[in-house]
Amino acid sequence: MNRVIFLVDMNAFFISCEMSRNPSLKGKPAAVAGDPERRSGIILAANYDARKYGVKTTMVIHEAKKLCPDIILVPPDHEFYRKKSKEVMKILSRYTPVIQQNSIDEAWLDLTGCEALFGKPKEIAEKIMDDIMRELDLWCSIGISENKFLAKMASEMKKPLGITEIWQEDVKEKIWPLPVEKMYGVGRKTADRLNKLSIYTIGDIARCDIAVLRKAFGKYGEEMHRLANGIDLSPVSENPQHDSKSIGRSTTLPEDITDLEYAKKIILQLAEEVGAEARKYGYKGRTISITIKYSDFKTITRQKSVLPTYLTRDIYEAGAELLTRNWNLRRPVRLLGISLGNCENDYVEQLTIFNLPGSKSDSKMEGKPNKIDKEKEEKLEKTMDIIREKYGQDKVKRAKMLQD
Amino acid sequence: MKVICSKDNLTEGINIVQKAVPTKTSLPVLEGILLECGDNFKLTGNDLEIGIECLVEADIKEAGSVVINSRVFGDIVRKLPDSEVLIEVKENNLVTIECENSYFEIKGLSPQGFPALPAIKKDNAFKISQKIVRDMIKQTIFAVSTDENRPILTGSLVECKDGEITFVAIDGYRLALRKNRIDNNSSELRVVVPGKTLNEISKILQPEDDEITIYSTSNQIMFDIGNCKVVSRLIEGEYLNYRSSITEDYETKIRVNKNDLLASIERASLIITSDERRFPVVFYIEEDKMVVTSSTNVGTVKEEINVETDGNRIDIGFNPRYFIDTLRAIDEDVIDVYFATSLGPCIIRPVESDNFIYLIAAVRR
Repeated sequence: MNRVIFLVDMNAFFISCEMSRNPSLKGKPAAVAGDPERRSGIILAANYDARKYGVKTTMVIHEAKKLCPDIILVPPDHEFYRKKSKEVMKILSRYTPVIQQNSIDEAWLDLTGCEALFGKPKEIAEKIMDDIMRELDLWCSIGISENKFLAKMASEMKKPLGITEIWQEDVKEKIWPLPVEKMYGVGRKTADRLNKLSIYTIGDIARCDIAVLRKAFGKYGEEMHRLANGIDLSPVSENPQHDSKSIGRSTTLPEDITDLEYAKKIILQLAEEVGAEARKYGYKGRTISITIKYSDFKTITRQKSVLPTYLTRDIYEAGAELLTRNWNLRRPVRLLGISLGNCENDYVEQLTIFNLPGSKSDSKMEGKPNKIDKEKEEKLEKTMDIIREKYGQDKVKRAKMLQD
Repeated sequence: MKVICSKDNLTEGINIVQKAVPTKTSLPVLEGILLECGDNFKLTGNDLEIGIECLVEADIKEAGSVVINSRVFGDIVRKLPDSEVLIEVKENNLVTIECENSYFEIKGLSPQGFPALPAIKKDNAFKISQKIVRDMIKQTIFAVSTDENRPILTGSLVECKDGEITFVAIDGYRLALRKNRIDNNSSELRVVVPGKTLNEISKILQPEDDEITIYSTSNQIMFDIGNCKVVSRLIEGEYLNYRSSITEDYETKIRVNKNDLLASIERASLIITSDERRFPVVFYIEEDKMVVTSSTNVGTVKEEINVETDGNRIDIGFNPRYFIDTLRAIDEDVIDVYFATSLGPCIIRPVESDNFIYLIAAVRR
């Protein structure tokens, strides 16, 4: 039996959330944008009235203002968007329990066998779109197909408020003529590399000898070939396998910095986010790497191996050490990033006989079972995760974040 | 220099000293073997960590010495016919090797640059049978750490005290300890010998009762094995105080046939393929049996073994590799295994002696 997979994509999500709580924005060009005072001042999401003027996501603010002088800019409130996102997911869960949230504003649904309950796929999509519009005052586009890849591609076809079906037999006609950068999973860099191989459209990928792709891209090349042919067997699952097996965060600083202590605080903040995500999926990573982008845009990354961990404390400590060791302090930094790599989720931890050097209490060497600290830290951090999930991100903080 | 010896004796000598010749070094002379003819014919290899010299039975025609590239010399001699070999050094360190119808001229190096083996004072010495040392090394060396971050653990602690000799190796995840009586010996010793040295020595030693003599100073040790002398640097620093981790208390003790246990774990680990090394084997210990199981992406396995259990039921997981290494190093047919907690290390002892103790750390599942 063919599967029925939906991709529900919220249109202009951030700004639509803002319009839902502030109707005065409706009908006027408006966008959520980072703080113009900070250099993160870019357009995060523009509404459709602003898009008419050519305003696009990631555009810097003054550029947007040039195109559309009357644009109303709203600072982002991620907490609110997360809340709205949860409400959307709640509506979706009325239709199927098999949901995979792909990001804050989109999710796959497996509706295989639901026709008897809700009707034809197109009718179900109309109901979902109607529910979200009536109850939350938000818009979405829905792609319908027999697998996740095609559903995602379908959802991109018509925005806003589009419902598009692409089935296997439509692949040649609707997918193949698209340029490679329109393919889900293909970014700028990959697109450039494909173009160098004289591969310009998705159809070119599909028709390309798989050996050529394998040679150029390894396993991912084979995957691209399958996807381009409309084949994607991956299931819609709540806890998807992280393909990249790494979790990372980075931030552009409001101004260039040269203060190590301040930089460490940034690293701690990022490590909190990375740690929280890793703990959510139960992924422990073996490598920690940091990215330093200097004010002249020269970028370095440095990494080190650690015992598998998902603790914020471990991630931070390794990150801070890498930073201290590798940052040429005379050079101002504009961006910092940290990531946890080489992740595994069914990790079995080999215990040691002693507290060996490298662990916290190595001077004692008393042959006590070690990891006592780690166990305590793990409990602490998981509890913090629960509190933050329930009451908000800023309800519990590490004392370090309070220092001036 | 001019000397005649049998191809067999020469090959044996080369094989031994080559263990101390580094393959890659910044000092070309170290890639050579030193050949010396005086009262006897002596070969020496030295990588500055380990030095080995070996006497080869020979008919010395003319004294002298030369250094010749170890790989070239070894390869040539091994391929020679089984006959007498004539080695002669001509002008400019040119070495000629003649054997039946073969004739080689090989460029040698001046022996001047070759580092001599350090002289070891012979006061602190004791004698012990080759076989005992060989066995003790083989029964502990697998637990020597290869992690250069903790240099002290890349060697074995060799301790000689109160008529007993002890070898201890620890890599953090397991501990191996072997003990043996040595008679009429009064000297005391407590040194950490590099694992590499012990590994090479165990290959040179024969399973025979002939005695060898061990000399040591604060930073060097020498094994005098008849025709052969091995000198090695020692690893400096204080060894781990491991004794406190070897406890007498236990929650659960089993007496088990070692071969049954080994065979079961070996079978169970068949489904732990190289991609899946992270998966453990799990023991479920019950009243009069233990169940050995493993479950990986390949499938699952369950093995039952009869045991005598003393104490509570317990279930505990291990890296099977660590258990297999350890059980293979034990000659006894029946062993006792002690468990304290389901996350703590287990201790393996012989039924009636204190000849060995092995500790293996568990895994958290």
